[in-house]
Amino acid sequence: MGKNRVKNNIRKLRFSRDEMTQQQLAEKVGVTRQTIIAMEQEKYSPSLELAFRIALVFGVPLVEVFSYDAEAEPA
Amino acid sequence: MSFQEKNITVTLVNFTLILGFYLIRVFQMIQAGSFNSTNVFRLWGIIIALAIVVTILATILTHIFSNIILVIKTKEEPHIEDIQDERDNLIDLRGTKVTYTASSIGVALSMLTFVFGQPPLVMFTLLIFFGVLAQIIGDISRLYLYRRGF
Repeated sequence: MGKNRVKNNIRKLRFSRDEMTQQQLAEKVGVTRQTIIAMEQEKYSPSLELAFRIALVFGVPLVEVFSYDAEAEPA
Repeated sequence: MSFQEKNITVTLVNFTLILGFYLIRVFQMIQAGSFNSTNVFRLWGIIIALAIVVTILATILTHIFSNIILVIKTKEEPHIEDIQDERDNLIDLRGTKVTYTASSIGVALSMLTFVFGQPPLVMFTLLIFFGVLAQIIGDISRLYLYRRGF
């Protein structure tokens, strides 16, 4: 299986926001904790709407949370 | 293990047991020489009724027992995490796709029995066998996706 092209800084941003837990973030954006884990491990790329909700929780632009690695092998 | 994974595991176990029961009954019928349309269609009815009733009951019981166990373990108010998010929906869609593909192959294989001059009863027996098997394959693929992350 190839690597996911969508990269993210969710883990880093969580720790910079008073060590927010995966459960807290999950509740804030309305998904399960397993989905947050899958995203942090870059196994799952969220929908555009969920990506915006995550960026909104951290109060940063979308590009600071997610980036696209064109060099990576497609998943 | 999330609520969805528990649900799928319970459904998988149910359908495996139902398939086992179905195969045992069919072989018993063949051995006893009572493999006729009346018995086969009665078995069809039993299998479909079992699949519906057992799945509903198992889902409810999974919900109740998993929360009881959680309360005993954590001694806190039960936190029911039964929301279905976009990842759950996508996994469900992929699983359904696998089920339909397996089911379609099963139907085609069942129809092939006519080519080999078998009576319609054999086709109908295989049809429900592949139907239940397709459900099991779909559930396995769902569990695999949950275990892998996506």
